[in-house]
Amino acid sequence: MTGRQKKQIFGAIQTALILIAMFVMLVPIVWIFLAAFKSHVDVYQLKLFFTPTLENFAVVFDDPYRLGEKLLNSTIVAFVTIVFAIPIATLAAYSFSRFTMKGETMMLVTILATQFVPAVVIILPFFVMFRDVGLLDTRLGLILVNLAIVMPFAIWMIKGFIDGIPMDTEEAAMVDGSSRLQVIRNIVLPMAAPGLLTSAIFCFIIAWNEFLFALILTNKNAVTLPIGLALFKGEEGDLWNLLSAAGIIIMAPMFVLALMIRKYFVQGMTMGAVR
Amino acid sequence: MRDNTLKYLLVLPAVIVVFATAIWPLIEAARLSFTVGRLNRPGSLERYLGWENYVWAILEEPAFWNSVWVTTIYTLLTVGLTTVFALGLAMLLAPGGRLRSAAQTLLILPFAMSPALIGVSFRFMFNPEFGLFDAFFGVMIPPLADVSWLADPKLAFAVVVMADVWGWIPFLTLVLIGGLASVPRDTVEAAQVDGASGWRVFKDVTLPQLAPVLAVVVILKSIFSLKTFDQVFMLTNGGPGTATQTLSHYIYFNGMKYGQIGYSASVAWLMVIPMIFLTYAYAKFVFRKADQ
Repeated sequence: MTGRQKKQIFGAIQTALILIAMFVMLVPIVWIFLAAFKSHVDVYQLKLFFTPTLENFAVVFDDPYRLGEKLLNSTIVAFVTIVFAIPIATLAAYSFSRFTMKGETMMLVTILATQFVPAVVIILPFFVMFRDVGLLDTRLGLILVNLAIVMPFAIWMIKGFIDGIPMDTEEAAMVDGSSRLQVIRNIVLPMAAPGLLTSAIFCFIIAWNEFLFALILTNKNAVTLPIGLALFKGEEGDLWNLLSAAGIIIMAPMFVLALMIRKYFVQGMTMGAVR
Repeated sequence: MRDNTLKYLLVLPAVIVVFATAIWPLIEAARLSFTVGRLNRPGSLERYLGWENYVWAILEEPAFWNSVWVTTIYTLLTVGLTTVFALGLAMLLAPGGRLRSAAQTLLILPFAMSPALIGVSFRFMFNPEFGLFDAFFGVMIPPLADVSWLADPKLAFAVVVMADVWGWIPFLTLVLIGGLASVPRDTVEAAQVDGASGWRVFKDVTLPQLAPVLAVVVILKSIFSLKTFDQVFMLTNGGPGTATQTLSHYIYFNGMKYGQIGYSASVAWLMVIPMIFLTYAYAKFVFRKADQ
């Protein structure tokens, strides 16, 4: 066998492996997409061809499931969480990026470390406190605890973006008599805007997919989409066609958002440990 | 305003939020762990109990040690399998090109999926009557044809591991592709010119250069494996019996289902201890990178 033939065979094996890997990665997702359009008869069979129906989507939004309410809760909670988190994180990130402070490293490590505290530890005291002040099963309560998981990511991610903005424009503006706050508003914010949007989307996805906090803190009024999945467990077991329709409503918007920021996903998740 | 004051004012809101949402709960959980802490008994959240909850967990509770064991095996398996698969896939996809970039783009999808939904989808895939994976394994490995995966302790554990590995491979692959991009091309080419085999180049050139990124990957994945809750809750709810009950699930169950907040807070703190070591290791890598 010549070297060229060898190379061709090697290339073909690689292509095959890539296709197999993609197949394995996509099958569970595709299967949910198919099941969501199956009638409740078809879903209990291993069918690849069937008459698609939109009925499941109508059913999940109707009584008794009312997925629309959960969708609204999820949207409000995730949105208000980033509305709080991003401005607060931006101010801090600017300061961390541009100044040296006493205890700066310690602050940054602590912020990083809080991300690794198990959610189940954080939620026990919050449950007790929210019970006492009447914040259980409210969107406000959920937003407050969501800040715990979102803030560290937001600060580290935005700091990464601001680190990447050269300092000379800022310095020139300061020489021309701008104050530091004017510099932040007129120069840094516009330049960092794409990064801020990326961070906001990243945090939105995390808040949207959050499960444990919502499971423990909500039971009726503030239930979010991932918790809503539990609704579709009937007396006779799981209602797979409805579960799948709900699954699409949860994951499809996140797929779109994730694809928008895909270049920054790794950097965000690893908090700058890998660029 | 002078920068010297301003710089502290700018971080103040963030410090307050982080303190209130992460540091305070940790301290308060520690306090609760020393109390009787029964949700249904008024005043018991204040009654001091000393180390009794900890002693009880360590000496008297086989269920606690079961969840430690489950979590340990689960972490070792998921970290090992995810890293190996992700490394292989990263090597395959790193060269780029049309097919490979398309594959890289698709890899973002499983990671944007809610872990709870991953749990649901794997319960679906392993349904004994109409699960696709169940059918696939039944054909490939005939002894598994008629088993009900989630009803068997060992197989249910395997499914939980598979769901986690499936959910994390894409992300770790993307991280490692980033790492591979920073391995200098010329050293690899020099080794190839010298006649080193593909395996030797990988083992002696690529792997050592990739070591820091691999370390980050392993630490990060370990942390997330130790914390696992969502998929387990949706997939098996810890069962059958307690075969797939991770520490997070055990804490949740004792705290929320049985109302033993004090006891579950003590177990939660026992869980924080390995986290401190892992976080310390992780922080070292982050700052090593920042200093460069």
